[in-house]
Amino acid sequence: MASVRAFTRLATRRTAVPAVWTRSFASVDTSARDPISKLGEKIVPDKAANITPESETSTKKEPLPDKDAKIKTFHIYRWNPDEPNSKPKMQTYTLDLNKTGPMMLDALIRIKNEVDPTLTFRRSCREGICGSCAMNIDGVNTLACLCRIPTDTKKEARIYPLPHMYVVKDLVPDMTQFYKQYRSIKPYLQRDTPSPDGREYRQSKAERKKIDGLYECILCACCSTSCPSYWWNQEEYLGPAILLQSYRWIADSRDERKHQRLESLNNSMSLYRCHTILNCSRVCPKGLNPALAIAEIKKSMALAG
Amino acid sequence: MASVFRPGLLRQACQPQSASQRMLSTFTSSSTVRSSPLAQQIRPSFVRKAIAEQTPRIAAFHATRRQQILPPLPQKIQGTLNDPAPVPDPAPAHGGYHWTFERVIATGLVPLCLAPFAAGSLNPVMDATLCALLVLHSHIGFESCIIDYFPRYRVPLVHSIAQWLLRAGTVVLGIALYSFETNDVGITEAVKKLWHA
Repeated sequence: MASVRAFTRLATRRTAVPAVWTRSFASVDTSARDPISKLGEKIVPDKAANITPESETSTKKEPLPDKDAKIKTFHIYRWNPDEPNSKPKMQTYTLDLNKTGPMMLDALIRIKNEVDPTLTFRRSCREGICGSCAMNIDGVNTLACLCRIPTDTKKEARIYPLPHMYVVKDLVPDMTQFYKQYRSIKPYLQRDTPSPDGREYRQSKAERKKIDGLYECILCACCSTSCPSYWWNQEEYLGPAILLQSYRWIADSRDERKHQRLESLNNSMSLYRCHTILNCSRVCPKGLNPALAIAEIKKSMALAG
Repeated sequence: MASVFRPGLLRQACQPQSASQRMLSTFTSSSTVRSSPLAQQIRPSFVRKAIAEQTPRIAAFHATRRQQILPPLPQKIQGTLNDPAPVPDPAPAHGGYHWTFERVIATGLVPLCLAPFAAGSLNPVMDATLCALLVLHSHIGFESCIIDYFPRYRVPLVHSIAQWLLRAGTVVLGIALYSFETNDVGITEAVKKLWHA
């Protein structure tokens, strides 16, 4: 076959047959291909091949740093358990707020995704339902997902883990004691008598209203870790979050162990380390009032006593 | 072969001290008093040397000298992670009754403090009542401070010493005020004299 082609090429070169009518080959010899392509162009104009040269187009340059970039500085507490000899340190990150979501959690996620993948924090629902991203932002315990980034770029944001908790890593506190205390108040319905009609335990509207403002607690521990009494006596004092939950079951009309629940709090440490500092009600990211619940427990204790 | 093209892998291969760091970390975490200088002394010399060499130069987190009055102990978990925290036995004398008593005294002090301003020293009995309630009120307040800042589980000896000192102080104050009330002008008159002095 190769020899046939060679002969054909020789033949086409020598004869006066226009190159248009010759058969083209899969060859890099562009002079042999040009005519047929040009002919095709004449028959069916190929728009794709009709390329506008670069001299007639604009130039896309490498993205310059935005002139109106809102660069915000974040100082974030870092501590790595794998390096126990190194002290905790504050790491500084800068982000352009125009490219960041509105909430602190967005900034943290962006730092983790784009700047420093070793940054560690808890987050799940990003809408204030799970309570995972509780941390101390600019000196206030709050959920990072519910805390807007202050748009004032002159002020630097400082993010710490929840205060006075054992730190697992970076912004992750150890909640073991908190959950153990939650378990100790028996956070479930305790009943001996069955319901009169064998169906669900009914409540009146007024009874149901009593646990409004209590059942919404998501146990993020923002309130407990803002309480100085809980800082000093974490091992024995239950803290506002757990006491609010305790009152949620004390106030529940369906629960039949109100007396035992009150008895378990009736000592000097569990409940009465509350000195009505009211940090708990101030920081609660869900807008609940743990101090009111504690006051209600104290009241029912005094009236029952 | 991969390490030639990936400098990250090469770097890991060339720095074997990460393993020794880990060994050190287990050593330090097992010793409970990590930060105390005594522990630094007790450590064998080769470990000390290794720490001095490996500790990276990072600016200290605490700019000032550590002056912790009661530093937190290493985390200790009672029982397993799933056990509830222990619930203390009910003690109403230190719980509900104590709180009610405290509030009764505090609210009782309000009219007792205001009445002398309105009417002067009415009679010695009221003066004595004011004194007694003030003594009790301050005793309860200081006791609360001791319970808060010297917890019994944390510093049992200091806690009991402080409690007994407070009791002694309260008794001394009670006797002093008693003698002041019986032998002198009484607290309301004393304040009045100080006011006009």
